[in-house]
Amino acid sequence: MRFEEQLVELLPRLRRFARGLAGSAGDADDLCQAAIERALKSRDQWQDGTRLDSWMYRITRNLWIDERRAAGRRGVHTPIDDAVTQIAGDGTAEVEAGALRGDVDGAMARLPDEQREVVILVLVEGYAYREAAAILEVPIGTVTSRLARGRGTLMHLLGEAA
Amino acid sequence: MTFDPATVAAFVDGELDDLTARRIAREAEGDSALAAEIARHRALKVRLTAHFAPIAEEEPPDRLRALLVDDRVDASLIGRRAAKRARFTPIHWGAIAASLVLGLTIGLRPWMPAADVADAGGTLVASGALAEALETQLASDQPADAAVHIGISFRDRKGRYCRSFEGGSLAGIGCREEGRWTLERTLGGKERKAYRQAASGDLAADAAAMMVGDPFDAATERAARDKGWPIERRERSTSVFLPSPLQIPPAVSRSIARKPAP
Repeated sequence: MRFEEQLVELLPRLRRFARGLAGSAGDADDLCQAAIERALKSRDQWQDGTRLDSWMYRITRNLWIDERRAAGRRGVHTPIDDAVTQIAGDGTAEVEAGALRGDVDGAMARLPDEQREVVILVLVEGYAYREAAAILEVPIGTVTSRLARGRGTLMHLLGEAA
Repeated sequence: MTFDPATVAAFVDGELDDLTARRIAREAEGDSALAAEIARHRALKVRLTAHFAPIAEEEPPDRLRALLVDDRVDASLIGRRAAKRARFTPIHWGAIAASLVLGLTIGLRPWMPAADVADAGGTLVASGALAEALETQLASDQPADAAVHIGISFRDRKGRYCRSFEGGSLAGIGCREEGRWTLERTLGGKERKAYRQAASGDLAADAAAMMVGDPFDAATERAARDKGWPIERRERSTSVFLPSPLQIPPAVSRSIARKPAP
């Protein structure tokens, strides 16, 4: 199958992944567009016979991280990472958890970026730990610890019944 | 509980070796706290999967497709794909998703023929020639004109044997549990030549995502068949906590099964 055709087939899943990362539909499709353009430009770097999905996910994720960092420098996004790690036992967070019960998007948005991407890759996209680690270019132990923290927060925010 | 939280999470994620996974499954049968912990992890996973699944069913916007598709060459294919999808729009998906129990991870297609598919208590399973092919046919040794063509065979995260197949009007992935082949993925089959390549690509990607280890070579496939695809012990012990991915209320699945193939 041609490179472009494979990307077309991958597009629905890539949009899901991007939505999980970026949160909103518009941002997600902007991210997909940037990823596709990057992939077309860098197609020589993809080795036929290796998994195109992992390669595309890595491109998408790296673009997203770049964008988040740039936005952070511009002060566009409010850092939320610190608040989330202190959620357990925090009175304000308990109220927030109640308000978020049933809101998957809201709960996901409260995860730090590095936890959210692991949660999406493993729990939503179904990648094995080692595959997620390869996409994110981090050790497996980093994947499992981030996943554990992300899971804990989501269970807390979404309620026991998840 | 003798298992730490990371091990329980790894169990739910299908990341443990077989021995440890069996130990946990067995332990959970007599340890309600462990069972509850497993159920909690599974519920979260199902919740997230169900939440994001509809996005992958949407028609990608033209601006993205336009980056990849040369309209002059592929217009007819795109038209047919659009027509195919129009029969089952995201709105339909939403309606069906709303009526399905938690656990839906994949889509049904309305042209699914009744003949090779049966409704077993709300789960779609292979029947007739399809069941026969999944049970007995070897990818390494099948007639070129076989009614059902077997693709790859592999083990999934739940320890089941799964096989991709392509038939006259239906393609998909079946996984064996409790003596039958549960249909985990379904797509229009090879009679729709325009989509054949697309369907194969989708199935390969789905299989890759489901797979633990490598796809079977001919010898492994034959050995698994000759043993009767034996995974019942592990399957029974884990299925207590997770509904099969294709749990469909009987009323819905009956209406789908009755719909004739176009």
